[in-house]
Amino acid sequence: MNGATLAAIAAPEPRRRLRDAPWFLRLVAGVVLLAVWELVVRAFAPAYVAKPTGIVRAIGPVLADPQFLAAAGATLWAVALGLAISIAGGTAVGLLMGRARLADAGLRYYVNSLFATPMVTILPLATLWFGYSGDARLAVVVFAAFFSITVNVSDGARSVPPEYLEVGRSFRASGWRTILEIVLPSSLPYLLAGLRLAGGRALIGAVVAEFFASIPGLGYYILFNSRTFKHDVAFVAVLVLVAAGVGFEVTLSWLMRRYLPWARRT
Amino acid sequence: MQRRQDWAFHATAAASLALGAIVWEIAGHLTSGAFWAPLSVTLARLWDLAASGVLAARAASSLTLFVTGFALAVAVGAPLGLALARAARLRIAVESYVMVLYATPMVALIPFILSMLGFGFAPKALIVFLFAVFPVLYNTIEGARSVRPELVEVAQSFRSNEWQLWRDVMIPYTLPYTMTGVRLAIGRGLVGMVAAEFFLSPSGLGQEIMLGSQNFDTALMLASILVIVVLGVVLIEIGRGLEERFARWRGVPR
Repeated sequence: MNGATLAAIAAPEPRRRLRDAPWFLRLVAGVVLLAVWELVVRAFAPAYVAKPTGIVRAIGPVLADPQFLAAAGATLWAVALGLAISIAGGTAVGLLMGRARLADAGLRYYVNSLFATPMVTILPLATLWFGYSGDARLAVVVFAAFFSITVNVSDGARSVPPEYLEVGRSFRASGWRTILEIVLPSSLPYLLAGLRLAGGRALIGAVVAEFFASIPGLGYYILFNSRTFKHDVAFVAVLVLVAAGVGFEVTLSWLMRRYLPWARRT
Repeated sequence: MQRRQDWAFHATAAASLALGAIVWEIAGHLTSGAFWAPLSVTLARLWDLAASGVLAARAASSLTLFVTGFALAVAVGAPLGLALARAARLRIAVESYVMVLYATPMVALIPFILSMLGFGFAPKALIVFLFAVFPVLYNTIEGARSVRPELVEVAQSFRSNEWQLWRDVMIPYTLPYTMTGVRLAIGRGLVGMVAAEFFLSPSGLGQEIMLGSQNFDTALMLASILVIVVLGVVLIEIGRGLEERFARWRGVPR
């Protein structure tokens, strides 16, 4: 046994090595991925193709461009508004389906098949009905988000533990109070799971609507700039979309841990 | 009592579907033909489409695209995720990037793919692949993380070799999660399929929808959408079935 091993045994707490620290591993992986991207584009792709150094150079001017800020605002506002509508409407319909058997019977085939419909297919219909306008985008966002919330809330409302409802009945709770104070809170984890799905779908819906109908927004900004071969500029808009998607996920899982620590759902 | 409730349930469901069909029909007669087509006209159009062989050709084209991209996504995502199950340091290094890519709206990359790779079949399959691969990879990694280190230690102390370790521990514990990813990937892959058919070269069922919309042939548009909805429902049911089939493995030692 040599000195080094003895020292390791004797040490009260072995110091963690830098090369095992998660943040270090992630940093290395990130640098490697960016370097590979940069080198592959430089070696094999035409000059206009987006690469990390070009994107970094484009970030400043793009973020200072009022047209870009307006585009980002328009897209994210449509997503937020569409999600708000979907949360309100989807929760109401979901609670109804989860607690009223006949409402479930009447609606489930519609809700399930609209949930399974790829939202891209309704683009021509949406532009037909709402014109080539922000309304069409909002309609697509709502279509993309609504049913994932409905489906999840109805699952949640259906699986309220019967004991909770019995307690409510013993205290002669009215139907409304049962729904608002027992069924809704107990469905919240399901609502958040549905919202998580809905957030990603809503972003996709907004972007495809802008592609399809040339509605000013981040999607159209990407389309326009990539058509004029300014890929670095266009990619900044992709980064904003990624940030929105990731930010939404992170916020939801924080909310889940902070306010619903009792909920365990796989 | 249960019997009677079942009866009421099915009767309500049937009545509601019938009502939907009637509303569809009446709405078509009340509005201009460009906005909505009656159910009867839509079904007649669907029949024409099927009888002329166009429907089969378009559906085959769409399905080829979907299956190619989707199969590649599973073939890449599942083994990669499984491999990361055994390479803990590599997993820690890349999993946050996979999470970011999972949350990325992949549609945003379509214009780049279009201007770099053009209109062929390969870029379209690439789009389906990109839509579908990250749910598979992300969920497989999630499963890999759920394999408790003690299980691996026990297997190793019983002198399992690498192959036995995979067969008895890693794969059974990870596959249920992979199947959740597969179910999600089916839904996303379908979105990618239609998006590719819309925004790259028109083909398959997406092309029929576009034709209908450009020619104000709303019946053709609705008929094609109906086919995609049925396709979506069937594929997602298959995905759900697979997930449930493998969910029984979850937490149940073999």
